Amino acid sequence: MTPTRSDLSQGDDPLVLRAQAGDHDAFGELVARHQRRVWLVCRQYLGVDEADAAAQDSLVKAFTRIGAFNRRSAFTTWLTRIAINTCLDQLRRRGREGLRVEEPEGDEGPGIIAQVPDDGADPEARTLQHQAVGRLASCEDELPARQREIFRLRFYAEMELEEIAATLDVHVGTVKTQLHRAVHRLRKELGAYR
Amino acid sequence: MKHLDDDQITAAVAELELEAWAEEHLASCLSCRQQVNDMRELIDLRRDRLSGEAPDWQRQRQEILLQLPSTVVARPRRNPRWLRPMLAAAAVLLVTVGLGLMRLTAGGGGPEAPELAVEQILAEVDAVLADEAIPGFESIDPGMDDLEELFSNGAS
Repeated sequence: MTPTRSDLSQGDDPLVLRAQAGDHDAFGELVARHQRRVWLVCRQYLGVDEADAAAQDSLVKAFTRIGAFNRRSAFTTWLTRIAINTCLDQLRRRGREGLRVEEPEGDEGPGIIAQVPDDGADPEARTLQHQAVGRLASCEDELPARQREIFRLRFYAEMELEEIAATLDVHVGTVKTQLHRAVHRLRKELGAYR
Repeated sequence: MKHLDDDQITAAVAELELEAWAEEHLASCLSCRQQVNDMRELIDLRRDRLSGEAPDWQRQRQEILLQLPSTVVARPRRNPRWLRPMLAAAAVLLVTVGLGLMRLTAGGGGPEAPELAVEQILAEVDAVLADEAIPGFESIDPGMDDLEELFSNGAS
């Protein structure tokens, strides 16, 4: 069963200690606990084809460096930093092509939020839904980088505000401010203001 | 009845704190709740779509375990950042005192010996100052400039 967000860090310490002694089974358990989070984080920076490889790379790096992990931060925070660094390194290596999450662009005008149909809708409504999600992705791409990063880590990588702050080494108030600005701008772009 | 303003609706969408009266209002006002839910549903749809792209976890775990080296290489503990300027200052002091002592004892002898000692000490200082990476965090960038450059190209 996939651990919940609040469960992620609980029970890591004994596994980390064993992994630091070279225990592959213990590290395998850490992988099982955190691989979903690591992949979700990588997916916010890289395309779907690259996210799996980056997540694997991050977890292998974590094993090779686990001897240096001093447990002053939560294991999940340390691991998420490695994942983000791995993605940023990859973006740098490929010539600064930038963060892109492949989604088809919607062609709707303002007010798209109100057009999102309910689940179980007919094919036409699903097309509208698909376009609405694509438009949201496009609008996210227009956000300032830090706002986009925080918005995606919060809502798509399912990280708590405090975790984002610790991972990005910023104050939690900064995370709240940037998140508020991101949502405000997305609502405005998507026509939520009526 | 006073409805929530745009900032409060935005805060509710972002799951940030609201004042108690705003929470109560949101619980009872269909219009305000609809505005929040519309945006949240769209975000949830996108998250579900992204989650649907997830790899096979069992397969991924097996591939990771196959890539692990046989042993973990423990790194030696490094000096904390706050210690480095103190070490540098101590080294400079040592150089100064050392030079003074050499001049006193050698009585103005040749410059070769003091220069060698200075080079050795400065090399040690350089080594201390160059050792600034924190394991696992080497390239995390607390600033925004680099992110802006990385993410600044076109639409998805």
